[in-house]
Amino acid sequence: MSEQNNSRNLRTALILLSVAVVFFLGVILKHSLLR
Amino acid sequence: MSTMDHAHSHADDHAHDDHHPHGWRRWLYATNHKDIGTLYLWFSFAMLLTGGLLALGIRAELFKPGLQLFQPEFFNQLTTMHGLIMVFGAIMPAFVGFANWMIPLQIGAADMAFARMNNFSFWLLPPAAILLVSSFLMPGGATAAGWTLYAPLSTQMGIGMDMGIFAMHIMGASSIMGSINIVTTILNMRAPGMTLMKMPMFAWTWLITAYLLIAVMPVLAGAITMTLTDRHFGTSFFNAAGGGDPVMYQHIFWFFGHPEVYIMILPAFGIVSQIIPAFARKPLFGYESMVYATSSIAILSFIVWAHHMFATGMPVTSQLFFMYATMLIAVPTGVKVFNWIATMWQGSMTFETPMLWAVGFIFVFTMGGFTGLICAITPVDIQLQDTYYVVAHFHYVLVAGSLFALFAGFYYWGPKWTGFMYNETRGKIHFWASLVTFNVTFFPMHFLGLAGMPRRYADYAAQFTDFNMIASIGAFGFGLSQVYFLFFVVLPSIRGGEKAADKPWDGAEGLEWTVPSPAPFHTFETPPTVK
Repeated sequence: MSEQNNSRNLRTALILLSVAVVFFLGVILKHSLLR
Repeated sequence: MSTMDHAHSHADDHAHDDHHPHGWRRWLYATNHKDIGTLYLWFSFAMLLTGGLLALGIRAELFKPGLQLFQPEFFNQLTTMHGLIMVFGAIMPAFVGFANWMIPLQIGAADMAFARMNNFSFWLLPPAAILLVSSFLMPGGATAAGWTLYAPLSTQMGIGMDMGIFAMHIMGASSIMGSINIVTTILNMRAPGMTLMKMPMFAWTWLITAYLLIAVMPVLAGAITMTLTDRHFGTSFFNAAGGGDPVMYQHIFWFFGHPEVYIMILPAFGIVSQIIPAFARKPLFGYESMVYATSSIAILSFIVWAHHMFATGMPVTSQLFFMYATMLIAVPTGVKVFNWIATMWQGSMTFETPMLWAVGFIFVFTMGGFTGLICAITPVDIQLQDTYYVVAHFHYVLVAGSLFALFAGFYYWGPKWTGFMYNETRGKIHFWASLVTFNVTFFPMHFLGLAGMPRRYADYAAQFTDFNMIASIGAFGFGLSQVYFLFFVVLPSIRGGEKAADKPWDGAEGLEWTVPSPAPFHTFETPPTVK
């Protein structure tokens, strides 16, 4: 089960997480700033 | 850990693969994908029964015109909480349970990529569910704004609304972590030789679903965060008096909400795409076109959201765009239905319980798809908006679609989970009872909607009585069928019965059937090679 700790998995997860964060902040910022 | 090492040194002996912690620690500290899958499945079934009880409350009230059991305020709480619990507590976690159990087995991985995060994803759900359900006990009761939590209702309600918002936040975080886990597992941990285009369809549909979840759950979180700040921190995102726009909430919500609909149906397509070939004893017709059709549905799901809001008023060009974009989805969906039928064509078909559910799914889901097309036509939708026609439509796709596919998947993979065959006669009774009572419940709602009965009301005009009585009788029958499923199918098949073969279905294909039944605690520690 060595794959569970490899850096490739972590990199994939961080990329996906950053997409989620961008969507979350993006929708709030768009409606706060760009009226 | 010493026992684990001991087990590893006897990799050929499956009995040693079954070492696992015992008692409550096994479940609270679970990192094994099969245990976490089991937790998800039990949680979602409990939520299904909870949401089902609320539904029976609704149907009991609507058995006759006039107010029988509940005040209208409480009735609206019932409809709202029924929707939230079924969508976020029952259907979504059930599919995540299937993903946890089956994706590592299907792609030849030892476990999910992030086993501890997997534990956290699951254990966020029970507190969120408690928060959601206990909001009934708060002053003012639970949220009654509808499952869509539209402003301005959602900005005006009591503390039950805040509890609902926090529950959604927690469930959303759980979904995002679960999706990151699934995408990473599928992209990075497939067995050697398992190229993406050799992956089983269930894994493919979940890969695409997980991308959808990562993109849209944060949008829902953003929308309800803005609702929260409108409620407590003086902002006016959705408050017209402060320069905000309540319709904007609907746009943001449905940008999440429409992909959410496909999040709940794409894994169902995946399950059905596994079962039909197994019982037609033919390979899936048009595998590649299935993959592309699933991707097309996912992409199109981002550009159709405003078909939920034709009645809010919008420019004709927008109406036309959203109408045609919505109709376009019928093309890839049609490809799928065509492929399922072409797979069955001239196959050596048998109709064990999983196949009955899968074929039943095709019939009844397709009816829901067609009523969806009818609702896509803007002028028709403006007539049908917020009537029981829409309630009928989405129950045909969510119950006869998602839930029937989940049952199909239970009967198909259940022997691999428990090691025992379910009772075939009882499985068939469950299927036929559910199919008949489902249609008795929801088919009359088409007529009610066309005649103009609005949804989300505790009372109705006397001319709607007959169809409502029929629907209520069907609903109680459907509820009883699921109690039968629990006590006469699920529990007995866990306790014992006929021993399941490693591959109980002779037409089934895939790595999951190469491991013993029940699947040992640890599987594929040495990755298999796929040719």
